[in-house]
Amino acid sequence: MAYTELIKSFARIRRAMQEFYVYGFKSRSGYDELSGRSYDDARRRIESFLSDHIRFRRTADGKTVSISVNSRSKAHDPLFRAWKAKSFTDGDITLHFVLFDILHDTNESFTLGEVSDMIDERLSVFSEPRTFDESTIRKKLREYADAGIVTTEKQGRTVLYRRAPDTALPSAEVLDFFAETAPCGVVGSYLLDKIPQHESLLSFKHHYITATMDSEVICTFLEAIHESRSVIIENENSYGKKTTHGAVPLRLMISVQSGRQYLMVYDADDRRIRAYRTDRVVSISKSDVCEDMQQHREELRGMQEHMWGIGTTGISGDRMEHIDMTICYDDDEQHIPQRLMREKRCGTVEIIDGNTAKFSADVYDVSELIPWVRTFLCRIVDIHISVPALEKRFLDDIQRMYSMYDEA
Amino acid sequence: MIFSELYSTYYNAVARILTAAVKGHISDSEMRDIVRETAFEESILTICPALKSEHWQLLLPDGTTPLQHEPTMPLTMLEKRWLKAIYLDPRVRLFTDGMPEDLEDADPLFTADDYTVFDKYSDGDDYEDEGYIARFRMILDALKSSSPLCITSVNRHGFDRRTVMIPRTIEYSEKDDKFRVIGDSTTRSSVINISRITECHPYEGDMSDVKEHEPQWETVEFDLYDTRRALERVLMHFAHFEKEVVQQDEKHYHVTLRYEHSDQTEILIRILSFGPMVKVTAPRSFILLIKMRLERQKKYIPQTSTGRGG
Repeated sequence: MAYTELIKSFARIRRAMQEFYVYGFKSRSGYDELSGRSYDDARRRIESFLSDHIRFRRTADGKTVSISVNSRSKAHDPLFRAWKAKSFTDGDITLHFVLFDILHDTNESFTLGEVSDMIDERLSVFSEPRTFDESTIRKKLREYADAGIVTTEKQGRTVLYRRAPDTALPSAEVLDFFAETAPCGVVGSYLLDKIPQHESLLSFKHHYITATMDSEVICTFLEAIHESRSVIIENENSYGKKTTHGAVPLRLMISVQSGRQYLMVYDADDRRIRAYRTDRVVSISKSDVCEDMQQHREELRGMQEHMWGIGTTGISGDRMEHIDMTICYDDDEQHIPQRLMREKRCGTVEIIDGNTAKFSADVYDVSELIPWVRTFLCRIVDIHISVPALEKRFLDDIQRMYSMYDEA
Repeated sequence: MIFSELYSTYYNAVARILTAAVKGHISDSEMRDIVRETAFEESILTICPALKSEHWQLLLPDGTTPLQHEPTMPLTMLEKRWLKAIYLDPRVRLFTDGMPEDLEDADPLFTADDYTVFDKYSDGDDYEDEGYIARFRMILDALKSSSPLCITSVNRHGFDRRTVMIPRTIEYSEKDDKFRVIGDSTTRSSVINISRITECHPYEGDMSDVKEHEPQWETVEFDLYDTRRALERVLMHFAHFEKEVVQQDEKHYHVTLRYEHSDQTEILIRILSFGPMVKVTAPRSFILLIKMRLERQKKYIPQTSTGRGG
C-alpha cells in the first residue's frame, strides 16, 4: 500500500514513538520488531508530525533518529500532534463539513430525508457531485450521536437530528495547565485547537510526557471504571511475550519521578491485585459489568498504606517487608529532615536528636525503596532491610560505587 | 474514541480554509499558508490537492464553497467528560470560579478517586487557601499584562524578602506539587515559590533596568551499565531532559544530559539513585561532587578490601 501521512490505528506509530523518544540510539537495523518498511513509514510520519523535535545522528550502524524535547519549555507537549493524525475517507470529510453546515443551529432539527436532500443540494455545484445514500448518512449521524455531537429525538416513528448544544470553553490558562498535568491531557490539546493560538503563560518542571503515547489505554481504563466494567488487557512483558488477562480496573497510578504510569487491577485469574505498566499494555477493551469493583477498590485503598510504589509482593514472599535507615545531618542541614518528612510516603520518621533521624517502613515490596535510599548517600549511618539478599546487594553496590570513583 | 478524525489536524486545517472561503473566496496561497501553519510538514501534499481536485467536495475551483456557515462543531462527550473532570480538580480554582452549568450533567472521565500520584512530595501547595488563590490570580494577571509586581515572601530561614519583578512565567512542578513564579528583576532573575508569598501588589516604580532571565545550562555525561534493566529505568527517568545516548557495546551506553545549573543538586542525587549502574565521566566538577558524598559515606559504611575493584 502506498505511504500516507495519516494512520488508521495509533498502534502503528506508538512503539516507534516510544523508542525514538525514550531511547533514540538505535539505527534502522536495531528495531527487531519493525520490518524495514514499517520502520521507514513510522519514521517518515513521526518526522512529519514532530519535525522541530527530530534529531539525527550518524553511527557505524547507520543513521539514528530520536525525538528530543525539553519539556521544561513553555510549549505544549509535542507528542499530542501524533494523536491528530487519524485517517479518514474522502466521503467522511465531505460529509462531516456538509452535515455540520446543515446542523449549524441547535434550534433546528431535520429528518434523515431532509438532511439527505440538503446534502445533495450543496454538492450539486461540483462538476461530478458525490452522492451519499441514506444508510451512509444514517450511519454517520449515529456515529456522531454516539460521540455526543448530534442529538436525536423521535417524533412518532420519525427520527429528528439536531446539533448538540454548544459548551463554553474555559480560559486558555485552564486548558494550558490541565492539558499538561491531567490524565488524558491530549483531550485538553483537542480543546486548545478550538481557541486562538497563543503563547502559554505556564511552564512545567519535572514534566514527563511519556504517558501521552498511552492515552488510549488510559482513557479506556478510566471509562471502564466509570461504567463498572471489567477489562481485557493484552500485555507485552519485557521479553516481548504477549499475554491476555481479564481484570477488574481499580485505579491509575502515576509516577511523577519515573515517568511511568500503571493500571492497578484485580486479576481474576491470579485472584490478587497487581499492576500493569501502561506502556507495556498493547491493547485494552471493556468487557462485562462487574459487581465487585467497589470491594476491590476498597481493598486496594487499604493496601496503599503499605505500598511505596505499585508493588504488592516482594521477592521474599513475606506478607510484609521492613526497612529502617538512620541518617545524620549537620546543624546547618535542617532541610534534610524536612526532605525526609515530605518524601516518606507510607513510612514514618523519628527525629532522634538535632542531627539524627530514623526512617522506617513496612511495605509489600521493599526493593522499590532502594533507589530513594541511595539519594541519601553520604549520610546513611545505619540501614536494615528485612530481606537479607536485598540488604547485601545494597551494601555491595555501595562498595562498587566506592571503587568506581576511587579511580575517577 | 480518543483517536478520531474529529480531532484531527486535517479537519482543523480544512475548517480554517472553509472559514476563509465562506467569507468570499480563498486563494491557493492562502490555503497553503493555512496548511503550513495548522497541519504537519507533509500535509500540504495531501490537503490542497484533495480540495482542488474535488475529492473532498467542499471547495470549488474558484476558491468559493457551497457551505453557508463557518464550520464549527460542538464538544464531543469525551471532551465534556474531560472538562468536567478538571473542573472537579481543586487547582482549577486558581484560574476560574465555578463549573459552567452546561457541564453539570456530564459524567466526569475521572475523579480524584480514580488515580493516585504516588510519589509527589507531601508538602505541596494548599490550593484551597483563599489567600493563595488571590495571590496566584494577581500574578497571573500581571503575567498577562507584563506588569511589574512587588512581592514579599518568606525565605527558608524565615526572613522576609522583598522582590520587584516582571513575571515571565508560572512554573508548576508535578513532583513538588508547587507553583513558582519566575520573573525578571533589576538585579537578577527571581524564582519564588507562590506558597511563600505573603504579600503581592502592583509596582509603579521604574523598571527600566530590568534584566532578562537567561537560564544557565550545564551538561553531565555518564556511562550506563545495562544490568537490572538499568537502560530502560535510567532513560525513562531522564526522558524529560534533552539528551543524547550512544551505544558503546551490548551492555554499555554513554549518555549526555543537559540541565539547568540551579538543578545540579537534584541531578546529582537522581544519578546517585541508580547506584553502580551509572558512572559520571564528565565534567570533573560533577565527579568531585559525587566523590565528596561517597567519601563522607565511607565514615559510616567503610570501604572493605573485598569491595575494591568489584
